[in-house]
Amino acid sequence: MSVIAPNFKFSEFVKSILDNAFWILLIFTLIGIPAVMLVLFYIEMPVINGELLTPFLALTWLADPSRTLPILKAFMTTDLFKIAAFPGFGFAALLAAGTIFIERKMLAKLQLRVGPFYCGKIEGILQLMGDGLKLISKEIIIPAKADKPIFWAAPVIFVATAAAFVALIPVAPGWVVADVDVGLLAVFAIIGFFPIITILSAWSSNSKFPFIGGIRALHQMVSFEIPLILSLLGVVILTGTLNLSEIVASQTHFPWIIFLPIGAIIFFITILAELERIPFDLPEAESEIVAGWLTEFSGMIYGLVQLGTYLKLYAFAALFVVLFLGGWTGPMIWPPFPEEIIKDGIVMGPIHAKIPGLPIFSQEMLNGVLWFVLKTVGVIFFILLPRGVFPRIRIDMLLSLGWYKLIGLAFVNIFIALGLLYAGVLGPGGIL
Amino acid sequence: MAEAVFLALSVITIGSAIAALELRSLIYGSIALMGTLGGIAGFFLLLDSPFVAMFQLAVYVGSIAVLILFTVMLVKRELIFKKVEDKRRKFVGIALMLVFMVALGSVIMDSGIKTITTDKPAVDFRNIGADFLTYYWPALILMALILTGSITGALVLARREDVENEQRTD
Repeated sequence: MSVIAPNFKFSEFVKSILDNAFWILLIFTLIGIPAVMLVLFYIEMPVINGELLTPFLALTWLADPSRTLPILKAFMTTDLFKIAAFPGFGFAALLAAGTIFIERKMLAKLQLRVGPFYCGKIEGILQLMGDGLKLISKEIIIPAKADKPIFWAAPVIFVATAAAFVALIPVAPGWVVADVDVGLLAVFAIIGFFPIITILSAWSSNSKFPFIGGIRALHQMVSFEIPLILSLLGVVILTGTLNLSEIVASQTHFPWIIFLPIGAIIFFITILAELERIPFDLPEAESEIVAGWLTEFSGMIYGLVQLGTYLKLYAFAALFVVLFLGGWTGPMIWPPFPEEIIKDGIVMGPIHAKIPGLPIFSQEMLNGVLWFVLKTVGVIFFILLPRGVFPRIRIDMLLSLGWYKLIGLAFVNIFIALGLLYAGVLGPGGIL
Repeated sequence: MAEAVFLALSVITIGSAIAALELRSLIYGSIALMGTLGGIAGFFLLLDSPFVAMFQLAVYVGSIAVLILFTVMLVKRELIFKKVEDKRRKFVGIALMLVFMVALGSVIMDSGIKTITTDKPAVDFRNIGADFLTYYWPALILMALILTGSITGALVLARREDVENEQRTD
């Protein structure tokens, strides 16, 4: 007799199966068919391959790849897919999650520690998932006398703002969520929201350490926004456009970092300051003010702030790649899709499976994404690296760096760009 | 669609402007002010000029609202805000606002704005920039001078003679 089911009876087993079948059929007829009817009545379904996409054929889509692939391809051109999955939130969140793990592991190696090790057997690869589960299941504690609406809203708005920033980044030719004509200005406008959210969340938690951290964050972000904007003007002067896709397209022969290295260095330093990373992590200096403006956050609120921070890190690194390293441009190293599969289909012994519409992504797109991800990961590595190397600097040193040195250097960069433009070397009608 | 967006933006802008004046909490008041400024940016977007809208967001929401928020948080509010609750002032203020609104509205309505056709393409911001640097260059120079003068004045006002600099500079 089985230990798991001591009172096992075959007749009961059959009865339970019949019961389940009965209930499933009942639910299908009472909910499923009306739902299909509602979809057919009220939602305008697209026409794919000359036939209407009817929900009645849902099971057929699952079984037949020649029907599934066109639907998938049509779905991948929709805005929903772009926002939620590929060039938008999902892709960025995946890279952000990878960044968190790499950061912890690499920092541990730099400091001769082991880092995450036990979770997931292989080098602690599941540590991130464990942390996420912990954060989701923890209680969210709100301090007494905190300003509840702002305290709840600030992390959500933080993630939303970071996601809006991510939406402006072009990943491959044509693969961008919001291809706006004034993309770089939109970036500046979105960056301006981060200090507001920071100071409001710091104020709303009604505690001393967050408030000190918030004031520091405000000082730091506001004073480093100016050299950030000025350092990017060189690229705008040379390309004559604010659209990020066009800026990438202008770098097919050489990236702008070759001609504007000063601007790239200033932009990198301001990235470090805007992201509150060491050596500029005064807003969350853990040895002075507990965790700065994050002190009172717990549970998933803290998780949201972390997610927003790393989305922001990805977005800034990607912006560096787009503006100075040439974005998706690079030599074609992605292998072409095999011709015979497109022509004859997949042949396995006696079976011929001809699947229309097979290269789902074009070779250019995959190659562009590969180069973009490689460059972005490189920049992210250089953003993470100072954390294991440098100490934290004082706030007056930070402010004098931002206001005196970086702004001056940014003007030098602008004059270099203007010189190159008026000497006829670069820009529209230049010799290069 | 455009009408609905326009109505929603109007409600947001005017509602948050009233809230910015009327709310007791200064922080919420400044958040409402951000709502007003953001709503104006929405109007610019609706008018096919994203360039101005982005500058409105970057300058007004990103800088000026931050400045107001910062000031409100750091200043002891009893020192500068005395409670002057006066019904008569309020009504006079509302009446003054109505007079101004009617006057400005009649001027704008008489200026021939109704005859403007709206199916022209939006003006490219590059043309605006080119105009600023060629035909309207005195205005640009004047703006630059005024801004420089105000920054210099702010620096002079903020300077204090009685404080010794005790911070290490290296």
